[in-house]
Amino acid sequence: MKLGRLIGKAVLAFAGFMAVFPLLWTALNSLKNNVDIITRVPRVVFTPTLANISYIIGRDSVMTGLYNSVIACGVAVLIGVVLGLPAAYAVARYPNRWAGDIQFFVLSLRFLPPVAVAIPLMVIWLQLGLYDTLAALIVTYSLLTISVIMWLAIPAFQAVPKEVEEAAFVDGYGAYSVFWRIALPVAARSLIGAVAFSFVLVWNEFLIALMLSSSNAKTLPIVASELSQQGMNVPWGILNASVVLLSLPPLLFLGVLSGFLNSVFRQKKT
Amino acid sequence: MPRRSSLPVTFVVPTLVILLILSMVPTLYAIVIALQNRELSSTAYSYVWFSNFVDLFFDRRFLNAVWVSVKWEVVTVVATMAVAIGLGVLMFEVASPRLRNIYCLLFIIPVLLPRVSAAFVWKFAYHPLYGIATYPYRLLTGGLIFDPLSKPATALFAVASVDVWQWGLFFAVIVLKLLETLPPQPIEAARLDHARRWQIHAYVTLPMLKAPLISLMFVKMIESLRSFDLIYVMTRGGPGVATETLDMYAFSQGFIESGKVSYASAMAVLMMIATVITFTMLWKRVQA
Repeated sequence: MKLGRLIGKAVLAFAGFMAVFPLLWTALNSLKNNVDIITRVPRVVFTPTLANISYIIGRDSVMTGLYNSVIACGVAVLIGVVLGLPAAYAVARYPNRWAGDIQFFVLSLRFLPPVAVAIPLMVIWLQLGLYDTLAALIVTYSLLTISVIMWLAIPAFQAVPKEVEEAAFVDGYGAYSVFWRIALPVAARSLIGAVAFSFVLVWNEFLIALMLSSSNAKTLPIVASELSQQGMNVPWGILNASVVLLSLPPLLFLGVLSGFLNSVFRQKKT
Repeated sequence: MPRRSSLPVTFVVPTLVILLILSMVPTLYAIVIALQNRELSSTAYSYVWFSNFVDLFFDRRFLNAVWVSVKWEVVTVVATMAVAIGLGVLMFEVASPRLRNIYCLLFIIPVLLPRVSAAFVWKFAYHPLYGIATYPYRLLTGGLIFDPLSKPATALFAVASVDVWQWGLFFAVIVLKLLETLPPQPIEAARLDHARRWQIHAYVTLPMLKAPLISLMFVKMIESLRSFDLIYVMTRGGPGVATETLDMYAFSQGFIESGKVSYASAMAVLMMIATVITFTMLWKRVQA
């Protein structure tokens, strides 16, 4: 039994190591000169350089990509919040015979293969003269953010104790002020998790951005993927630096999302 | 609860109308395009009705892509669930509450990474000469070259390993949380009956979690279909057509090789019909 536990702990430690080591290695590589990366025996001791990082930050295409990503994802998430949260509240608190169908419809949007959506949208945006604009990307991403936020916010609103809302009604609050002043603040923690999740999802999105942009509206993932195609002499250090830059924003939500997971599963217990 | 109010209408109707427009317009238009013969290079087109679909069934690369997609689904879903259940149970058994929290945090990191980032990290790690993941092999064999991404037999598994790295570890966290929500009495009863630890999990806890585990698998099946970015960055469908899934093939037909937008759309429509039917049936069964 003792030996079994020991092996179990070793396996877990190895899995934990595997989870982060590739990333730490990438971060380390972003500080290396190319000669220190292209070695047959991995090099841990080297003279660090900031050249890769300053190259990345100084490049116009990277900065445009970053700007496009921030605007497209930010606005799409905002639209998702404004349209998704109230709808989720209404579905959660005013059940009617369509509630089940609405939930299934929202989920089924996730079944659609992205290629199947991206091809017609490309043709549509071309015809409207909006191809390769941030507006086209934002509208397309809104479909994603609204549905994801709705899907995750419905259970969050359902978890708000009904008595609190009923007490507010008795105190003379109207339906809208109960939503504003009671439901939103009480469910806030879970809702922030849902919003953060939808942001990570669109920030990481690749296929739609690839097909809906050609030069002006390229997001950061597209720019990063293009850096790798610069001929035979792959600039590995620069590539590693761009991967680090691309990965930072979603990782900033790590704490929020793990708190969100905890709150979701704590509700199930009661 | 609340009396009559205009709230449900004003809150739900606009959102649903926008969702319906945003989803139905491209979906219906995808079908329209699939019935035409549009190409990227010209603006002229006419209706060819079902000939794109008929052509697909004689296209050996399409049939290969269907087969690769099926393999991809099976490999990633099975491996993800195995890793998730294995690590979840391990954490439940041998890790102290503090260690559990640390592991949970570590295991969420890979899934937060953009798939483009994950693909690059591992593409370089699998590099035959300089990669960190192939280094142990070079060390043990005295410098022999192992290039998993350019061998047809291993490429699919090498790419799938990245997908499992992202999702398997994340799902392990969820499996642990699910185990923590179980009532302790049945586990203690089994322990009193001298059940071994693996028996407790195989016959008591995991059967109790059957419904949420099936939902998790369902989520993974949907997410596995969105592996375009991973494959695009790591292998571009190669070597040959060894990792060319349906979305990869549709993309290269429509945009890289020949610009046959309608042909690509026909493929996407078939994919859409297959997934909507399969997942709707599965979902109704899971809910029942």
